[in-house]
Amino acid sequence: MGQEVLTFPFLFLAIFFESFVLVTLLSKPARSARARVPGEATPTVAVIVPCWNEATTVAATCESLLALDYPADKLEIILVDDGSTDATPAAMAPFATHPQVRVVRKENGGKHTALNTGIAMTEAEFIGCLDADSFVDSAALREIVPCFAEPNVAAVTAAMSIHQPKNMLQHMQNAEYTFGITLRHTLASINGLYVTPGPFSFYRRSTINELGGFRHGHQTEDMEMALRLQHAGYEIENAPRARVYTKSPDTVLALIKQRTRWTSCALRNVLGEYRSLVGSRKHGVLGMLILPVSLIAVASTLLLFSVMLFQLGRSAVTALQVRAGIPLSYAYLPHGSFDWFYFPASFYILLGAATLLTSLSLIIIGKRISRTPGNIGLGLISYTFLYGLIVPLWLARATVDVTLGKNRGWRW
Amino acid sequence: MSLVTRNVIIALVITVVLAGTVAYAVDYLNRARINELSTMEDQISIDTLSLDTQFSLLEAAPCDSAASSTTLVSSLADLGNRLSYAEDQLGTDNAQVVRLKEQYSLLEIRDYLITKQLAEACGTKPVTVLYFYSNAGDCADCDKAGYALSYLRTTYPSLRVYSFDYNLDLGALKTLVGITKIQDTLPAFVIDGKRSYGFTSLTDLEKQFPKGALATSTASLK
Repeated sequence: MGQEVLTFPFLFLAIFFESFVLVTLLSKPARSARARVPGEATPTVAVIVPCWNEATTVAATCESLLALDYPADKLEIILVDDGSTDATPAAMAPFATHPQVRVVRKENGGKHTALNTGIAMTEAEFIGCLDADSFVDSAALREIVPCFAEPNVAAVTAAMSIHQPKNMLQHMQNAEYTFGITLRHTLASINGLYVTPGPFSFYRRSTINELGGFRHGHQTEDMEMALRLQHAGYEIENAPRARVYTKSPDTVLALIKQRTRWTSCALRNVLGEYRSLVGSRKHGVLGMLILPVSLIAVASTLLLFSVMLFQLGRSAVTALQVRAGIPLSYAYLPHGSFDWFYFPASFYILLGAATLLTSLSLIIIGKRISRTPGNIGLGLISYTFLYGLIVPLWLARATVDVTLGKNRGWRW
Repeated sequence: MSLVTRNVIIALVITVVLAGTVAYAVDYLNRARINELSTMEDQISIDTLSLDTQFSLLEAAPCDSAASSTTLVSSLADLGNRLSYAEDQLGTDNAQVVRLKEQYSLLEIRDYLITKQLAEACGTKPVTVLYFYSNAGDCADCDKAGYALSYLRTTYPSLRVYSFDYNLDLGALKTLVGITKIQDTLPAFVIDGKRSYGFTSLTDLEKQFPKGALATSTASLK
């Protein structure tokens, strides 16, 4: 047993959290959210697309916005070129004459400044943001608007998936994003969201004005805004069928770089300006459960990974030592048939398997809830075999960065 | 009670039930392993007694019963592998494992004695290895030696390998240790009556076998 005992509390916590998500998913608020239908109300909406060197995708992003099922006179699109140095201005130019689109170019100042520039240009009742590497489903906005029915709802998030996943790494991210659909939908039903992602999150303009627009937020302005909204006592909703697809890193290094930034910046926000939210009874489930569990999850993932690496490493070294000098045909080829007697059923392995199976179930649930088209099979396979090996790498890197106060670049 | 509090309580109950189920499943599997080992030992015990009885009944022509002995050796090896795995899973100080190991050692000694008697009666020269190990953490090379012997036993089915935990508190085993004059420098081997200590490599181990003993055509009983 040995080091395995150390992992039990964390496996216990993981199963508890997944059980909590499942139970909450079946509770009335989540059921009511799923039953919500696209409304007839069409308030004025502006979608801001902040761009920095997005020449290859911004046109398709804008096209997807123009294809939204929403009255043209109520929807404006604001493309903000944040001082791009590539062909982004040329890619935006054809849209400059479109009656629904406004194009503006400014000096590079960061995504939050691009968003604030766009907000200053519109009087729309609701402000949406869409990263310039993301594409929306035509029905997405109709799903978003009814979520603002309650006056205390200040923001609404969408259901994100990966745009046309090609390799196993992207399929893995697609499964992860689909897991996120379930999680976001469930946590939103009890106001437990702490991030309003760049792809197609919407805000009530009056609240944005009241809180003073977007801030740098340690390079995660979306999280900073969400935490600020929560801190101010507002609610963040989710529209689980508002589908949006985003581009993803296609190499492990690019993925680690992207997630290191996300994680380290998230840690800086939560442990910095918004530390008072952690453990706060006033902020309900977010303060008492979601944020503490998220912080513990970082530590527990690193611990579980270390234990797994240690055990695998020790087993590999022992196996190599024991087999030294024995003919390869005997030492490294399987002999014998499957025998239940040798089935390695330890508490650690079975609890880990239960956690994984629940995660896979939540992914499948996410796909069903959002009605996202496509096959998730490859995503489930790659999630099972890759995710647990890659996540600890960016968590470790992000933790080191935060500890050493190191900042990294924005782009993956 | 708020919705969140209710859900937290339900989730806690689910977690406890799930963890309890897993703990029960692990315990159930371990008990099933022990039961299987007991069943195997009972069968081997009957086989040994049967062989012993056959030997006594057919004193005039004991070699007729030789085939059963070969079967017994492979059953013993299988039991040994399972016992070793159960020991890893349940711990070396598990009372049931220790009891099963004692029974297993007795069976090995009994089979060893019958093999010797049959060899004398039938004029054969089976190659036998008595292997003494320790898993108390004081024998760095025991795992390697055990694996090398497993390889030899698989490659040369006629080879008769008997493994003994040197530290097992069993009268018959202590007597065997005394008779073979094995010291506590482990791993230790008695190959065809000749003692040797330590393990360096498979090649060095093979050199300690009688010439021609390690051939796939070697038969312990003709």
